Amino acid sequence: MTAPRELDPVIHAQARLKVIATLNTLGETNQITFPGLRELLGMTAGNLSVHLGKLEEAGYVEIVKTHRGRTPTTYVALTRQGRRAFEDYTAAIRELLDLG
Amino acid sequence: MNRLDDDDRPLSPEEMLRLIEEQQSATSRRLGGDPLLTYTPWGIAWGVGFGALFLHYAYGLVPRGVALSVLFSLMVLAMAVSSFAQRSMSSQVRGEAAERGMMYGFAWLFGFAGMFALGVRLSPLLPVEETGLLWAVMSMTIVAALYIAGGAVWRVRTMFFLGAGLAVLNVVGAIAGPGVHALLMSVGAGGAFIVVGVVQRIRRRGGA
Repeated sequence: MTAPRELDPVIHAQARLKVIATLNTLGETNQITFPGLRELLGMTAGNLSVHLGKLEEAGYVEIVKTHRGRTPTTYVALTRQGRRAFEDYTAAIRELLDLG
Repeated sequence: MNRLDDDDRPLSPEEMLRLIEEQQSATSRRLGGDPLLTYTPWGIAWGVGFGALFLHYAYGLVPRGVALSVLFSLMVLAMAVSSFAQRSMSSQVRGEAAERGMMYGFAWLFGFAGMFALGVRLSPLLPVEETGLLWAVMSMTIVAALYIAGGAVWRVRTMFFLGAGLAVLNVVGAIAGPGVHALLMSVGAGGAFIVVGVVQRIRRRGGA
């Protein structure tokens, strides 16, 4: 019997999994504004900031602070590492389900 | 201090997989815009506008100029409403998706500019009953082609099939003549776009 793969603890939390799944759906070359992401997730700004912080620490998301005209805007995107982590995570979960 | 407790409660693999799938489909739906605002305004514009044009051709009930103005003003309104519906969420995204949307928007602009130039030039040379058909067929050709292209760009089958259906009705109508064309566009195209917008909105409400 093969032991089930370890589930990535950074992603294995509802809120962060939702963040990653949303960013992954946007597609590789796209970034979304912080308010836009918040709206898609229905999270509070504070809550989302905390989770994004943890994801950024792990190198899974990239947070870009820039200006749109004169307004400061924050964009969020999944990094290549984050995309791979998400793919591994879904593969591990499917594996677990198959074993179960 | 553990305000993230609830979010961090571990779920079973089944629940996690469902969470991923739900979040992904919710995201694509939100980015695609509201179907009621995307399809239904076009349906209403054609239903009413081509309906008026049909009443003109078949019974002479509405003056031709009035019917055409109603049709084109409603189409401009539909274009505004549906592009607003697309923009509200997509303005939050930058990168390839935004660029794609902008280029697609330009396709509409250039398409209609070409139509307008040709229409203004040819209209005075045609018998009056063919003028309305010229404008109607040209505008529907652009809409059909761009719906088909939109379906290809965003891989939305509904959009592709609506465009293809529109193209077929448009060709049949162009061959059959102004009255039949107006009737096909009003009932067929108008009806289909209204129904698709409403049905998709109801389905979305129903969850999943």
